[in-house]
Amino acid sequence: MFEILVDGILWDIALVVFFGGIAWRIVAVFRHGMPRDLAEPRGSGIGGAIMTNIRRFYPRHEIAPKIRLHVIAGYMFHVGLFILLFFAAPHVIFIEEHITGFGWTPMPYWAFVVVSQIAFAGLILLWLHRVLHPVTRLISRTDDHIASILVFVVMLTGCMALLESFTGLRVLHRFTVELLMIYFPFSALMHAIMFVPSRGFTGALFNRRGVKV
Amino acid sequence: MARMKFFCDAERCIECNGCVTACKNENDVPWGVNRRRVVTIKDGEPGERSLSVACMHCSDAPCEAVCPVDCFYTTDDGLVLHDKDICIGCGYCFYACPFGAPQFPTTNAFGSRGKMDKCTFCAGGPLEDLSAEEKTKYGSNRLAEGKLPLCAEMCATKALLAGDADVLADIYRKRVINRGASVMDWGVNYQKASLRAGRSQKGKASSNN
Amino acid sequence: MRQGDAIVVDAMTTSRQRRRRYMTWSLVLLLALTLVLPLIPYAVEYAQVNDSSLVPNPGADLWRDVRQRDNPVMGQTQVRGVDTGVLIYKSGEDWRIFRMQWLAPYGAIFMGTVLGLTILFYLVRGRVPIPGGRSGKKILRFNLNQRMVHWFTVGIFLLLALTGFILLYGRFVLIPLLGPEGFSITASACKEAHNLFGPLFLFAMLLLIITFVKDNFYERGDLSWMITGGGLLGEDTDAGRFNAAQKAWFWIATVFGLALCITGLILDFAVIGQSREIMAISHVIHGTSAVVMTGVLFGHIYWATAGMEGGMESMTTGYVDANWAEAHHNRWYEEVKNEGEIEKPSEKPGPGSASAIGVASPHPGD
Repeated sequence: MFEILVDGILWDIALVVFFGGIAWRIVAVFRHGMPRDLAEPRGSGIGGAIMTNIRRFYPRHEIAPKIRLHVIAGYMFHVGLFILLFFAAPHVIFIEEHITGFGWTPMPYWAFVVVSQIAFAGLILLWLHRVLHPVTRLISRTDDHIASILVFVVMLTGCMALLESFTGLRVLHRFTVELLMIYFPFSALMHAIMFVPSRGFTGALFNRRGVKV
Repeated sequence: MARMKFFCDAERCIECNGCVTACKNENDVPWGVNRRRVVTIKDGEPGERSLSVACMHCSDAPCEAVCPVDCFYTTDDGLVLHDKDICIGCGYCFYACPFGAPQFPTTNAFGSRGKMDKCTFCAGGPLEDLSAEEKTKYGSNRLAEGKLPLCAEMCATKALLAGDADVLADIYRKRVINRGASVMDWGVNYQKASLRAGRSQKGKASSNN
Repeated sequence: MRQGDAIVVDAMTTSRQRRRRYMTWSLVLLLALTLVLPLIPYAVEYAQVNDSSLVPNPGADLWRDVRQRDNPVMGQTQVRGVDTGVLIYKSGEDWRIFRMQWLAPYGAIFMGTVLGLTILFYLVRGRVPIPGGRSGKKILRFNLNQRMVHWFTVGIFLLLALTGFILLYGRFVLIPLLGPEGFSITASACKEAHNLFGPLFLFAMLLLIITFVKDNFYERGDLSWMITGGGLLGEDTDAGRFNAAQKAWFWIATVFGLALCITGLILDFAVIGQSREIMAISHVIHGTSAVVMTGVLFGHIYWATAGMEGGMESMTTGYVDANWAEAHHNRWYEEVKNEGEIEKPSEKPGPGSASAIGVASPHPGD
């Protein structure tokens, strides 16, 4: 019963909410617009947007020593999650069967387990920092904690289903994924998509004003 | 019900590995899984003996005792079978088994072994007898067809016997008497041993003796 | 008459002669037997040696070898794999006895006893208050790195302990509740999570050891602290940054934690051809270490939470009250007091105090 629900209607709902929600958020942000900049631009907006998008992948050297943990753990988690999502063998098969119709070479079992461990370590360290550092604790909202915990639960149920033989565990993983997909567009998780336009806006504004980003 | 047993006669086994091949073929076991194997002791030395080993379907099975999910069960025939839908592939049965019977389809990092597979005495598993699912998961169910395990039926020298323990004991006792084995440890006199079946052993010599 | 007499005499002579002959031959036979009889065993032996068809049965010796307890006889087999040449593997039975008759029952008894004693201790002793109440002055006890490493290890250990003990005790406790199918799903989830998070625990343990080892070496006064039971029996509670019990916990966690990690890796990566014997030994060490560490952990958790007021906040906020520090870690308190690291009570909580915490941090790299 639960299995049919999760594999059927809930998956459809999750897909609609996920893609509809993302589209709605992006449209909303772009429709908001920006005040007209009447000043003569001192640099190219598009150039600034691209430059900033790249520049923000590594920390400014002034603050680099202070946020070493964020950078390392952040990359551990984000790159790890990306690889897990797209190169774990069960995921590739799922994508091939349900979404794209074609697959690609997945990673060997041991490799994606190692990657998932790196991602887990990164996620746990980042969340601990969020909770234990007084400043990040103050600026964290409930939304951030829910997002962290939800991602952790999704990854945990995923690793619990590694034997790939119990329907219950697969359904549990898929159910948590659906919850994550429904939660995604209305939360801080949108940064997975919005980081590009957001960096772009900042970069474009600053570059037009002639500020080095 | 009968108490089913395997018996391998070391005086007869010629290490032809016919039983191993028969088992693999009949049960369609995956690559790397060997439900049965032939072990030769003192290979190439005087006193060389071979034995065909598989799950011996113990009375107090160690695998059954240590299984964390209790997936083993003993049938009325005294066979130790397991439920692959419950097995989690932890490998504990392999550590406990004296005969190295439990097999795993993969040996991967992070304890990934897949579900345990072992000799079922050609009796399938807990699923419906002779169903396609049973065939895929546990191999053939010859007992349900009224046949004995193929390894024993295929054995060319009738070294490997399978069936009711009482019958097997009878057969082996007659063999021992026939060989003229002495209780005084003077050895076996093959030359003087009568190679013909005794009066009590009427019928096909090949199946009895 | 004469003839008759002669016949009688002749007969008498004949019978005497015969008797004498019998006697002679009997004597000869007796002599011969006396000489020959002792030779019979030699003759039998001689006959056996020369009878090529009668060979000693090699079976008896062979099976004694196969069944021997110490080192199993390795045979040849066409099947490739670990220990496939062993016909009868005796140690499996030892391992079974260890797991089912020692580890499971005595582990439960040990952990249950520690837990029971802790609860009993709490009921008798109660919560130890901060002597003199809270001063309002805060001292940094654990910086951000130390707290993160601590909670990272805690999180992974708890996950591993939970999944591990479900695998050990689930058959007795959870199968009656969930049924075999339900528990099978739980056990599979636990097994996979245990195997995946295991190597992370090694990472966590190494971080933990590196972070805390420098304050955990033996100092003068630790022994007297231990003898007086840390002020439970006497008045002497002289202690540095960590008291003797905390140091003991650190070393217990280090030794048993590393043992858990190493044996866990051996069990987790069965790809380098470990024999069953090595796996069983690893399991014995793994199980024992897990039980010991969990038992001692109850005590650690007790003193951090219910047992003592003002201790837990050192690991959550990083700060302890000055009075708490003076009472329980007086030598460390003197040190930090001299170094002037005591923070004045902040006027109002909020972002202001947060920035002050950042400044007060004595360890760079927060």
